[in-house]
Amino acid sequence: MDYTMEDTQNSAPDALEATKLNSSTQRNDTQSVTKRLQAELMQLMLSPSPGISAFPDADGNLLSWTATITGPTETPYDGLTLKLSFAFPNNYPYSPPTVLFKTPIYHPNVDFSGRICLDILKDKWSAVYNVQSVLLSLQSLLGEPNNASPLNAQAAEIWDSDQEEFKRHVLARHKDLDDE
Amino acid sequence: MTNPSNMNALSQDEMQRFQKLSNEFEPDVPGPLVSPKQSSHAIAMEYANADPTFATKTSALAITHPMTRIMKGDGNCGWRAVAFGYFETLFNLRDPMRVQRELDRIKSLNTLLDQVGQQEELYEIFVDATEDIFAQTLTAIHNGEQDETFLINAFNDEYNSSAVITHFRLMTSAWMRLNPHRYQAFLSPPLDQYCSQRIETVRTEIDEVGLQALVDGVIEGAGFGVEILYLDRSEGDSVTPHQLSPNCPNGATIRLLYRPGHYDILYQPDPPPVNMAPIVNFQYGMTSNYTPWDQGALSFDVNAHLMSIPNLMADSAFGGMGAPMSPLSSVSPAPQSPYRVSPPHDLYQTPMQSHAQVQPMPPVSAPTPVMPSAPPPMTTLPNRSEGPQIRLNPLVMKPNLSHSLPVTSPFKNSPYNQAHFQNQDFEPIHWEPHGR
Repeated sequence: MDYTMEDTQNSAPDALEATKLNSSTQRNDTQSVTKRLQAELMQLMLSPSPGISAFPDADGNLLSWTATITGPTETPYDGLTLKLSFAFPNNYPYSPPTVLFKTPIYHPNVDFSGRICLDILKDKWSAVYNVQSVLLSLQSLLGEPNNASPLNAQAAEIWDSDQEEFKRHVLARHKDLDDE
Repeated sequence: MTNPSNMNALSQDEMQRFQKLSNEFEPDVPGPLVSPKQSSHAIAMEYANADPTFATKTSALAITHPMTRIMKGDGNCGWRAVAFGYFETLFNLRDPMRVQRELDRIKSLNTLLDQVGQQEELYEIFVDATEDIFAQTLTAIHNGEQDETFLINAFNDEYNSSAVITHFRLMTSAWMRLNPHRYQAFLSPPLDQYCSQRIETVRTEIDEVGLQALVDGVIEGAGFGVEILYLDRSEGDSVTPHQLSPNCPNGATIRLLYRPGHYDILYQPDPPPVNMAPIVNFQYGMTSNYTPWDQGALSFDVNAHLMSIPNLMADSAFGGMGAPMSPLSSVSPAPQSPYRVSPPHDLYQTPMQSHAQVQPMPPVSAPTPVMPSAPPPMTTLPNRSEGPQIRLNPLVMKPNLSHSLPVTSPFKNSPYNQAHFQNQDFEPIHWEPHGR
């Protein structure tokens, strides 16, 4: 058949073309990621949201940021300052950033290494989410933990049974990090 | 604070490493994001030893839809199949105006994104990626590119491909949020939640509701149909087609093959070319092919058309005399014989003949190869009683084809000419000063 022949003839040069393109594609991707992150940074600085902030790390690498959340009022975290790290993948925003709490935190959905269990940072990630929307989601997670799938089962239990006890655990665990 | 015991078994670093591996785990799916067109027989082969229903349906599929394009099963295959199919269909129309119209239409859908509160500074990079594919399509049409290789390359660039798919996802989501009455009944979660968790996400496979919304909100405006062929265990010998766009029954159609959890693109056989040339060529081919002549396969009817040609039958060499004439001589005149009795040059100077001196060039693409052969061997020269008969097609009589009439000047040099010395019924032509 005619097309079969066409396709066989095309396949070899295509494959070559693809490998040749890969290195330049990689570079373009990094540029696109950088461009996107610069836009996010700009937006955060021009229209800051209360209680959250984020800035790229001093190493000049736009792929790693440090952020802070202020604990919302009327939650056990009221008044606490929590630091987080963002690591952006090379195909950001088509994969979520890796977000960790750097400040020790006692929370049902955060483990003792600071890893967070939040669906939008995993399979529910969307390319229209950004640093700001992640930080706002985390801020609301502080006051509304998802106790159905806890990383810290004890914390989930205490949250449900004894709010005063929970707050004591939060304050015991919390330790302000030195500003760099 | 003590760690739970199961966490003590591994050091913090190891835990971190495993968590990282786990986070980054992606099933290893081989192959490009979008494959070149390939034979659908490959699918039939996959199922050859499977359930007989699948075997039967895939064999039938390979005949009705001989070509397939395989999408990588990475969670975006349905979205990618539709987006690729959209651009491929558009490219195949080779209509720059239409591409421009489509670009304008797709960009106008930005207002939907604004209406549902998407931020322009976030979505503009996705729109840019789509716009770039439109530009590449226009360039390809302008450069007369024969195939869709540029699209395959564009869609195999994962970053840009993801951007285009994200754009299509956002347009679909906005469309659904603005038309909730059409879709909420088919969804168990609230529509907003469905959109943010199933449509706007980066790696969630499209489901039927999402596909319908993608067709309704994004594709149908192009006038393209979308048809899904379900390969499942249902009754029947062929895959079940389902038309998603009843409003576009006659336009170009994107065809998807659905297997549980996966979409690929299907192609029907190309329609036969709507080109009359081969038929006309066949006429030329016949007149330039000696073989049927040697076998006496052609016959000649003296029909009304032929009779209406001025002077044709008036000539003594034609008509009731039973003298054969050759429709072939125009292409391959017999070599001039030095022994030929030279007939008077005005003998065949009929009006038709002067016309016929414009020798037709056999078309280059004649389906029957033009045989540059010598005149028919003398031994096979038909005798008088069963002399070769010519059946002229009425087409031959059309003015623009009349130059292909078999009445040509080299005829007089042919042994079929009774006046030729090699003719069985050779009769020298006598010059009669007062004749004619």
